[in-house]
Amino acid sequence: MEVSAQGVTQQNTANVATSPKYKDQTKRRGFGFDKIILTLVLLYLLIPLGATFIFSINDGKNFGLSSFQSIINDADFITTFPFSIELAIATTILMVILITPTAYWIQMRLPQARPIMDFLTLVPFGVPAIVMAFGLIQVYGSPNTLVSVLSLGLVPFLSNQLNVVNTPPLLICAYVIIALPFTYRPIDNNLRAINTRVLTEASYSLGSGWWRTFLTVVIPNIWPGIISAALLTFATVMGEFTIASLFSIYTFPIYLDVTGQNDAHKAAALTILSFTITLICVLGIILLIRLRPGGAGKDSQIEIGAAK
Amino acid sequence: MQIGATDSMGDASVNNSAAVKTSKPRGINWSYSITSWLGFAPFFLFCLLFELLPAVMVIQSSFVNSETGAFTLNNYQRIFQEPDKLHAFQNSISISIVTALIGGIIGFIAAYGIYNLSTKWLHNLIVGFSSVAANFAGVPLAFAFIATLGVTGFITTLFLNWFHINLYNSGFSLYTFAGLVLVYIYFQLPLMILLTIPALGAIRPEWREASTNLGASNYTYWTRIALPILFPSLIAAMLLLFANSFGAFATAYALGQGNINLVPIQISFVVNGNVSLDTGLGNALAAGMIAVLLIAVMFYTAMLRRISRWQGR
Repeated sequence: MEVSAQGVTQQNTANVATSPKYKDQTKRRGFGFDKIILTLVLLYLLIPLGATFIFSINDGKNFGLSSFQSIINDADFITTFPFSIELAIATTILMVILITPTAYWIQMRLPQARPIMDFLTLVPFGVPAIVMAFGLIQVYGSPNTLVSVLSLGLVPFLSNQLNVVNTPPLLICAYVIIALPFTYRPIDNNLRAINTRVLTEASYSLGSGWWRTFLTVVIPNIWPGIISAALLTFATVMGEFTIASLFSIYTFPIYLDVTGQNDAHKAAALTILSFTITLICVLGIILLIRLRPGGAGKDSQIEIGAAK
Repeated sequence: MQIGATDSMGDASVNNSAAVKTSKPRGINWSYSITSWLGFAPFFLFCLLFELLPAVMVIQSSFVNSETGAFTLNNYQRIFQEPDKLHAFQNSISISIVTALIGGIIGFIAAYGIYNLSTKWLHNLIVGFSSVAANFAGVPLAFAFIATLGVTGFITTLFLNWFHINLYNSGFSLYTFAGLVLVYIYFQLPLMILLTIPALGAIRPEWREASTNLGASNYTYWTRIALPILFPSLIAAMLLLFANSFGAFATAYALGQGNINLVPIQISFVVNGNVSLDTGLGNALAAGMIAVLLIAVMFYTAMLRRISRWQGR
């Protein structure tokens, strides 16, 4: 789920930021009620992480890295972890290939498609992952005339010829969809922030075609947006449990769930590993936001994409 | 999901492109227009196949008898007749409301605390940490809480050793509704903080000065000026929190292994072949979820419109 409340508040924020005198006069310093609540909230957020970390290095009586060692030697970990990384990379690549040209195309040629795009990126908000997975299993698992007609015959082709139901390729497609709300926005915002039209016209006037302009002029200018979308997609796929579980595909989060039922210390170690992946991806995004045009020094937007 | 649909810069560029368009010789250029839409076709087709059709399928099949294929409302009637299905909806809705309210109110106060921080690096650090925490959810979050407050969890053991209090004997359990609330709050709080900080940025310092000059107390400032202006943003953010926990499955599943009765858990039972459930009933449950979320989305967009009216967005 993307959370970008940036935008029009920017100007106001900028005003506040440029007048530190105002800020000092009107903001309440000291340790008031709000700061107490803030401290409690931070404790609430930090304690489970700290406890899990201690749990992971404290195997019953002794402190040590034995839980981490037993994970690395676990055959299921050796298969599921790289498999999830492959899924995450495949999803990320498919997402970039699908969304980036479309976002550029809409910006340049088809601004009237924006409402449709807004709708499509809003749908995963109204149709949660569990419902989407349940729907996908039925669409590709049981023949239905209405669906066949609406899909222009593509669904029967995919389900009968390619037999995609409950396969990793379908899982990857589903992941691209659940990532939509927070992948399209950063790329689109980045496209709006650079002067896309002027860049494109300059490139055309120098003799480049559409693809050459897109690949050599537009992409290099919007890569911070693309990489933030990619990192968030990667983090989401590495933690996605719902759809993989309904499709019965053995991914890393499923392995984490199965292990956790038997060995709490191993589960804690895996949780720390999972948290580290999230941490690296989100830190990457935060650093990239500073690189975006006009991105530094503001309450920059941060997208939330976790699969709950 | 986003509060504040477009930024001013983007609007400007859209206006520019409109201006460029109209300056071209008029008359409908069909081939140009068809090519334009064709460029959108691959993406739209992808969304149709993997996003829209599953939703259409779920809604259509919820009105169909899964054995005979005839039209029926029986699937929906069964939700009301079978107590555990009705309970699942009650639980899902109440956990979403409770966590949205707690997360919303406490998150707002915490966000105000962050907004008041005068140290820039601390401000950035906390906002950065909030975005990490908001993205930390699902199975790992459930296990983090089991390691903290589970039967042998860190805090549970600490209470036992230091204060000789056994939390689980005094009525607490992580594997119940209250425990789930505690876990959900973990991703709701940081989300609320991230949603609220930009809204607080829209409050102008001049407003407080003006109200103070006119003799308003701190209380009057909050109840008559700041909160009425922030209200639509806060409600919109809390609706997002509601949707966020209403659709959550992995966290609840990993925590209770299916013992906590929520709508997503019931749907997963259908897929995993539980005998008491059939596809028709599962579709009715799924369509019910879509209906609840649709109401939330409608209120959410209504709030966005209010925000744009108030804050000139």
